[in-house]
Amino acid sequence: MGTAVDGLRQTFEESIANGDIYFVLNLAEVVMIDSSGIGLLVRFLASTKQRGGNIKLVQPNKFAVQTLRLVGVLNLFEIFDDDDAAADSFN
Amino acid sequence: MPAEFSDGSEDHALSDLSDVSMPATSEAIATVVDTISDTLTQLQVPEQKRFEIALAVQEALANAVVHGCGNDPSKQVRCRLQSDPRGRIVIIVTDPGPGFGQNLVPDPKQRENLYVDHGRGVYLIRQLMDEVHFENSGSEIRMWKY
Repeated sequence: MGTAVDGLRQTFEESIANGDIYFVLNLAEVVMIDSSGIGLLVRFLASTKQRGGNIKLVQPNKFAVQTLRLVGVLNLFEIFDDDDAAADSFN
Repeated sequence: MPAEFSDGSEDHALSDLSDVSMPATSEAIATVVDTISDTLTQLQVPEQKRFEIALAVQEALANAVVHGCGNDPSKQVRCRLQSDPRGRIVIIVTDPGPGFGQNLVPDPKQRENLYVDHGRGVYLIRQLMDEVHFENSGSEIRMWKY
């Protein structure tokens, strides 16, 4: 929400403009993800998949997983325990 | 008008736990959500229930700020936290807007909506809370957690 979502949106937009299509998003320090954060994630997931890429999530807490499941988008994402495993999955 | 529960009772004898008015900004949302979470912690509300209430409040306040106030920081959103003698908690969020067609909110779990970047807030609130009532054409939401 607010500045956190705005900051992530800017990062995504700049990265995609630079041609990046593979993203590892570490959520370990994200206490709560709301509908605006979910909207951002699925929008950029669609954008990266259209370019042949993907977004992998790392260490979302149980509440983030619960929220993603509640709105039916959990299965759109692959989830990993650490950044390296997520990055390796692109190979 | 008192809220009517599925068991037929009404919300008489509510006690105020907090009553705040905030400017319509995202920064103010975070402050109010934190305040309510702290109050619920002091009341020894379990973590899972605290999370569900906090997220529902955040969504309701975000709707009030964006749709009810048009992100105009000169406008005010009111948020009340109350409980009844049975320990049930109600949060009432009121904005000065004209309300909205809450029954027209699409199902975000439909395949065609999965990648849409908006339209999940009210759905989430209904999933997280036990009773949800809209008043004044939708400019006031009452959310109950048992």
